[in-house]
Amino acid sequence: MLVLPHLDAAYRFARWLSRSPSDADDVVQEAMLRAFRGFDSLRGSDVKGWLLTIVRNCHLTAATQQQRRGLVPLPEEHDAQDGQAMIATTPDPESASIRRDDERTLDRLMSALPEEHREVLLLREIEEMDYREIATVTNVAIGTVMSRLARARAALKARWLHETEGESRAVR
Amino acid sequence: MRCAESLRVQAYFDGELDAISAADIERHSDACAECRALLEDLKQVRAALRQDLPYASTPPALRARIMRALDQEGASQRPRPNPGRRTSWRPGPFWTGALSGIGGAAIAISIVFVFLGSPITDPLLDDLVNAHVRSLMPDHLIDVVSTDKHTVKPWFAGHADVSPVVADFAQQGYRLIGGRADYFDHQRAAVVVYQHGSHVVNVFSWAEANAALPRNTTRNGYHLAFWKTGNLVYCAVSDTGWDELLGLVHLLQDLAANDIRE
Repeated sequence: MLVLPHLDAAYRFARWLSRSPSDADDVVQEAMLRAFRGFDSLRGSDVKGWLLTIVRNCHLTAATQQQRRGLVPLPEEHDAQDGQAMIATTPDPESASIRRDDERTLDRLMSALPEEHREVLLLREIEEMDYREIATVTNVAIGTVMSRLARARAALKARWLHETEGESRAVR
Repeated sequence: MRCAESLRVQAYFDGELDAISAADIERHSDACAECRALLEDLKQVRAALRQDLPYASTPPALRARIMRALDQEGASQRPRPNPGRRTSWRPGPFWTGALSGIGGAAIAISIVFVFLGSPITDPLLDDLVNAHVRSLMPDHLIDVVSTDKHTVKPWFAGHADVSPVVADFAQQGYRLIGGRADYFDHQRAAVVVYQHGSHVVNVFSWAEANAALPRNTTRNGYHLAFWKTGNLVYCAVSDTGWDELLGLVHLLQDLAANDIRE
């Protein structure tokens, strides 16, 4: 199945759009099933962008339903340790622990950003999509992508500085 | 107050500018301290996100759950196999359940150990796995799209050096979706592509007069099953379970045997 190589991208995107990990799981599964059923409706060759668009739609649908039912999930506390997210194995325990601190900080700061900021940051920096692709996935004009991206980056940077203020360690 | 060029500086950073505009921005940021600082900020934010953002990959349990859901979806879309013609290799519901979880993993691992005869660093195995993975990238899977063996088989005559057995086993759950030619071992190997549930199975075939047949093995999570018919070596590669993969292998072997008899 052609979308399977993009499962991780779909998961990352859903994980950062949804406020709870279990919502993210449901969103990814629903998106993969929709992609599987509707594979013929893919036009062009950008399978990843197409899948992420489906993920985003699934997320919006789920979020709307939750709002209607009056369910607004609290952001769940997640310990970076239990994630499969510990990407690399660092031999040096000290740098590994700094790395975990950075992960937790970044996790918290990203979670605090507005959704429209989180999604452009993720699509640009992690999925490395260009402005046109991001515009397609998020369904806005390229100019909007550019200004959102600028605001999102500035906001993240400012929050990080605020967070680490007084600490000797500066942002890397 | 932001410099009026800040959005263009960002576009430069993101590789969105043509060469002339990029040179323009480079000149500008040489002179503008604010834009130099902006470029530095952009670099730091990118480095932090790329290095430290958690949730890089799908948790294995979720991946397994999704694969199961896709398999069920695939199973409900294709016609049910006729119970009378149920072949012996196809596991019953009990075994399907028992094999799907840890049991399946354990058996797969033991199979790997049993069959682990050829050296790990066999470049042929690397080539096969790489060719399989590459085929899953957009637009690489299929050169000739057809579910008809009378279209796929003749296509190989002009595009590959060998002519493998081709058939559609949709009834048994292996839908023929097309063919492809891959350069391989200094020849144009023929690749027949099947879909089983949500999984793609690539069946490679190439001429090999006398080299030893590699043992069945697993690399990077992909199963590779080898067999030989005449002087053609076949290798089926997929991320399905062993049972599903060997099911297709047996169908193809039976077909080849019948061809020879006729």
